[in-house]
Amino acid sequence: MPDAVQVLQSLVVVVFAPLYVGAIARAESMVASKRGPSVFQPYRDLAKLLRKGAAISDQASWIFRGAPFVVFACYLTVSAIVPIITSVPLPLAFLADLLGGAFVLTLASFAITLAGMDTASPYGDLGASRATWIGSLVEPALILVFFTVGVLSASDNPYLMNHAVRASPYAIVLPAHLLGSLAFFMLILVENGRIPIESPGGSNEIASIEEGRVHEYSGRYYALMRWGSWMKFFLMSSIFVNVFIIPWGLDGSAHNMLGGLIAVPVLLGKLGICGLVVVVIDTSFAKLRFFRIAEFVGAAFLVALLGVVTSYVVSV
Amino acid sequence: MESLSTSSVSGTLVTLSAVLMLLAAFACLGSKLFNRYVAYYGFQSVVLSFAAAVIAEHYGSGELWALAALTLLIKGIGIPLSTRHLLLQRLDLRRDVAVSTGLSTSLIIGALLTAFAFLVIGPQDLPAGAVASSAVPLSTALVLLGGLAMVVRRHTVAQLIGWLITENGVFLGAITLAATFPFIVEAGIFLDLVAAVLMMVAYVSGITRSLAEATASELRELRG
Repeated sequence: MPDAVQVLQSLVVVVFAPLYVGAIARAESMVASKRGPSVFQPYRDLAKLLRKGAAISDQASWIFRGAPFVVFACYLTVSAIVPIITSVPLPLAFLADLLGGAFVLTLASFAITLAGMDTASPYGDLGASRATWIGSLVEPALILVFFTVGVLSASDNPYLMNHAVRASPYAIVLPAHLLGSLAFFMLILVENGRIPIESPGGSNEIASIEEGRVHEYSGRYYALMRWGSWMKFFLMSSIFVNVFIIPWGLDGSAHNMLGGLIAVPVLLGKLGICGLVVVVIDTSFAKLRFFRIAEFVGAAFLVALLGVVTSYVVSV
Repeated sequence: MESLSTSSVSGTLVTLSAVLMLLAAFACLGSKLFNRYVAYYGFQSVVLSFAAAVIAEHYGSGELWALAALTLLIKGIGIPLSTRHLLLQRLDLRRDVAVSTGLSTSLIIGALLTAFAFLVIGPQDLPAGAVASSAVPLSTALVLLGGLAMVVRRHTVAQLIGWLITENGVFLGAITLAATFPFIVEAGIFLDLVAAVLMMVAYVSGITRSLAEATASELRELRG
């Protein structure tokens, strides 16, 4: 039965990731006093893109054609190893810990970068160069966040972390944990191109980072790339709510499908809270100038560093 | 009387406030615009008054309630508004250009100072369960960060705010460690502080009539 729950977990990520993005886009329009697109618009976009044929440059190599599948597979792998709907490790959870998950996410980003450079389109190159620069800044901060996680659970396994926080809820307000959570949230915004870094979904070439890399894609390849990036946002937000902020409401046994199914609406509710914060940030801040991004990531690094420093309290 | 341990609700709230105050101090250190600099200080003081209220509620101490209210009124609202008025309206200063190191350098030094505070006052050395133990090194870190702001900033009003951050740290440490501290001592410190701020503001606004910018390096030239 855990195998079925394992499949369910990955399905939840694949199926609900567009809904999460659509709901956030809708909420942002509503805050701006607009009606906005339906929350199901991302599904319609995907259906449209999947029906269409793809135009591929005759200069493109197999890297360009293969990258969308590698990317999608990477995000599917991560969906199997982190706690999304269960708080007990599923059969595939042995594959990697948080650090390993971060490696797989970076592998996906690496594939997108290669694909962006493959056709020698200037936009792809520009996006690749920018994304790599930001990625090199994000990496050390992310590793420090994992250290703050390790402070509480003496492990970098997301399941153990979830248990540690549930076992003593006051651990949530320990400085190390709070600062680590804040830094992780800032890194989610950076990694997924949300507002202080990039206007989500906008393909304004002057500012584009994530969009620049996939500029040359069309049709079903583009659908896979978009879907993958939504899954990444969904996955990172799930890790944020399930491991850092609200570790309750997960299926504790993984013995039957019912528990897993009950955990799904709970997860969506928790993601709604996280999405609300993203909406508030998206609508109340302006995009940073490109070289100010280093300061934003530097602030996340500093917060995570403070989290590690203040971790002495764990012995209380 | 129940002690203010880390795992009690009050202790948790105090720790939370201390973390927010530390973040506000870092925000102060990293902000170039005067109005933000002052606003972050105001936010820090509001959080401090909240912590004081939590401790007052915990010990049922009317004196601490009075101090919390005074903190909110004077340090949370009064001082930020008056310094903001002074800097933005009367002196027409928006950006603090008189900074002796880069902002990122000062943030890194600030992180090192925080680490130093935790090294010196390891919360694990404090009696377990007696105090909200992580608030103590955090308050020490605030004292050091306020000192750092005074060293890094050259504008007199900015230095004054640095000094007030230090004062917030001292106050946080005092109410965490010895909440039953005689009221008269704390109130005396408080009145001293208010008098000092009033004098400083009057002095700075007087002196800036003749000097365009009241930076400490220029004030030093006034020596006989």
